[in-house]
Amino acid sequence: MTNIAQTIAAVFAPARERGNRLGLAWTTIARLGGVTLAVLIVGVFFEIRTHGQLLITDNVLTILRGLSTTAIMGFGLTLVIIAAEIDLSFASVYGLSTNIVAVLWLTHGFPIYAAILIALVAAILVGLFNAFFTAVVKIPSFIATLGSSTLVFGLTLWIGQTQNLSYQYPPTGHTVPHGQVTFFKNLGSAALPGKFPEQGIWALALLVVFTFLLTRTLFGFRLKAIGGSRAAAEVVRLPVKKYTFLAFVICACMACVAGLLDFSFVGTAGPNDGSVYLFPVFAAVIIGGASLAGGKGSALGTMMGALLLAVLANGVALIAAGPFASQLLLGTVTVGAVVIDRLTSRQRSLS
Amino acid sequence: MSTLARGVSMRGVRKRYGDTIALNGLDLDAAPGEILGVAGPNGAGKSTMVKILAGEVARDEGEISVDGRPWSDEYGSNRVAVVHQEPQLFPNLTVAENILAGYEETRWQWPKLGDDHHRLFAELGIEQYRHRVLGELGLAVQQRTEITRALARDARVMLFDEPNSALTPDESAEFFRLIRMLADSGRVVMLISHRLTELAASSDRVAIILDGRCVRVLEGADRTPENIAELLVRGLGSAAAGEASATPRRASGEGDGLELVGLTDPRQAFRPLDCAFPRGSVTALIGVEGSGAREIVRACGGLRRARGRILIDGREVGPGQLPDHVSYVAADRASSLFSNLTVGENLVIRLDREIVRGSFVLRPRKMRSIAERLRTDFQVKSAGIDVGIRSLSGGNQQKVAIAAAVGRKPEVLVLEEPTRGVDISSKAEIYEILRAFAADGGTVLLFCTEVPEVYEVADRLHVVSDGRLSPALEVGEFADMEALAKGVAALETHGAAA
Repeated sequence: MTNIAQTIAAVFAPARERGNRLGLAWTTIARLGGVTLAVLIVGVFFEIRTHGQLLITDNVLTILRGLSTTAIMGFGLTLVIIAAEIDLSFASVYGLSTNIVAVLWLTHGFPIYAAILIALVAAILVGLFNAFFTAVVKIPSFIATLGSSTLVFGLTLWIGQTQNLSYQYPPTGHTVPHGQVTFFKNLGSAALPGKFPEQGIWALALLVVFTFLLTRTLFGFRLKAIGGSRAAAEVVRLPVKKYTFLAFVICACMACVAGLLDFSFVGTAGPNDGSVYLFPVFAAVIIGGASLAGGKGSALGTMMGALLLAVLANGVALIAAGPFASQLLLGTVTVGAVVIDRLTSRQRSLS
Repeated sequence: MSTLARGVSMRGVRKRYGDTIALNGLDLDAAPGEILGVAGPNGAGKSTMVKILAGEVARDEGEISVDGRPWSDEYGSNRVAVVHQEPQLFPNLTVAENILAGYEETRWQWPKLGDDHHRLFAELGIEQYRHRVLGELGLAVQQRTEITRALARDARVMLFDEPNSALTPDESAEFFRLIRMLADSGRVVMLISHRLTELAASSDRVAIILDGRCVRVLEGADRTPENIAELLVRGLGSAAAGEASATPRRASGEGDGLELVGLTDPRQAFRPLDCAFPRGSVTALIGVEGSGAREIVRACGGLRRARGRILIDGREVGPGQLPDHVSYVAADRASSLFSNLTVGENLVIRLDREIVRGSFVLRPRKMRSIAERLRTDFQVKSAGIDVGIRSLSGGNQQKVAIAAAVGRKPEVLVLEEPTRGVDISSKAEIYEILRAFAADGGTVLLFCTEVPEVYEVADRLHVVSDGRLSPALEVGEFADMEALAKGVAALETHGAAA
């Protein structure tokens, strides 16, 4: 392991001395870790294999939409992981949110605004639940959120009665005001110039918000410290509990946002909403350079992780390699990106 | 090379960790049937010696033999057993399972206790506990389990590292009877302790270890606590004395400072306290592990919940407001620094209002300027404030930890062992920082384990023994470090007798 690191260091070290431009390029790659390198490699590979189909505008926009759900939930999870905790419940919160909105709005005739508000409150409650058992009762967050995830999923099935509901075609006997349908549709899939996906705009806007939160606020600064050493944070009197609560609540809220945007785009809500996202979101955050040991991670990294997964999924679909290929590649890339990151971070600490 | 036919013999043993020399040519013999006491200040090399004998770390140089045979990894680790301050056993297994784990002597069956085991249980008086889960039992039983485990594989050399620091007086007395029994059975017993009185009373000879060597072995009537204390101090004195004599002492008692009124520890690590540590001076509490000194200091720092009132400069401060007035620096740097942050970030991590615009937006330029200023003021030697904290030497890391604490502008600074693992030049700088803080009208409270440190930095000290605070001693009233060491030793002895 050390030898590989040294070899890589030796390969790249001269590049840094050779000139400013190369040096700058290397520093950027090193700062973002393996994920940038992986995106480039995977992107070039598929660009060649698809004879240039990957990077035509339409497909790039498809990729952008594809990464946004993962990225938005990833931002929330990044906070939790920086604080050295784990949240396994966000995928269930996603499903809870879509089902609450669908049932209240479509079958009980609540105004859409009230339904969204209630879904958000439900998400906040799940976040508080997670944080309470983690920070106050002091159960490992892995266990606490494993439990809450299952609990929330059960709640979702009960609320939704395992039905699929569509706002384009409301259940028989129910009508939905046209204005509300337009409002909800415009949340996540408004017609924008150049067919630009609206979810992509949400993802980019939240990227800015979370980057600001993590790099320019007291919350981000201290969260990183808390995740780095819980013992020191207690001695130095950082508000460990308060920030753990905030991290879990924000994470749950992001799952709610992602769920509702997808509902708006897809048009239907069903019992299994969200469950497919558990692994990709985790993968995106970890590929993006966050450490499960805590104290490390960035919104941009998570975005890049989500980009990598989206390019991969899109590329595999374009070459029609079959479902097994995307899973095999996903697994390889997840391990590969983390290994590269380990090596580049060693290089970073040597410099 | 002369080796004893039996017992332990060490000749010229050396060990270095990076730049730190832990053992610098240690020569020491211990014969079967005797209890050899080992005394030395923190960092003198006692633990390294124990680890080398037990096979936990490898020596760099030197000869070791046990019962006439050269020490090898396999031979040594079978012959030598260590009983640690905190028993290193499996808390989730029963006493019996703890004895058997690793020495099952079966291929696939569930291991069983043999007759020898039962005999040992009876001898050590833990027969009735053998099917109880270890973690639920008291420390004394856990310790006996560790001893039994060593005896079950017929260890000939038993090392005891601060074995009774957490035992009650009755348990301690019982413990010393037990190790005498072990020695009488023809084993080598080595006892490492900070408690000089007990060390003198219960060992046959006492070896003094300083700076990685054995400087003297006291025998017979020479092994008094006073003699041991004097030797410990004299050895350290040469390095530190010049500096210390130059520091002017102020008569303490500028008033107010940190006052404790009826401070009580729910877990009774110390007796109820009424005392004051005056402003403008450095007060040290000195005491061995388990004396309660560390706990008192932690309670003052707000890290340990205690009942009673705490007044700072005459005003009562509730537990919630304590962090606004008291900055606390822990003994181990892992608990006062964040290894994933840079030097600059570590310097400002304790601040809030100063580095924030509105209520939560950071002011990066302000953070940098504060960090730069602290780095300069506290003479932190680092390549700027953007390097990782781990790239600094131990001494400079400690300066960062103290700078961050002082940077919060508290009235009271509380530190545990402020120069543990710090090189000599950084030590002097850290002492200067603490004295300057006091001279500025601050209150400094330290927990120390060593007299030279107290002599160099403190204006006054209290000896803590058995959870009780001695009356304050003015450091300036002692002629030299040896006099102070004798005073401290006398108070420690007196406290233990009381």
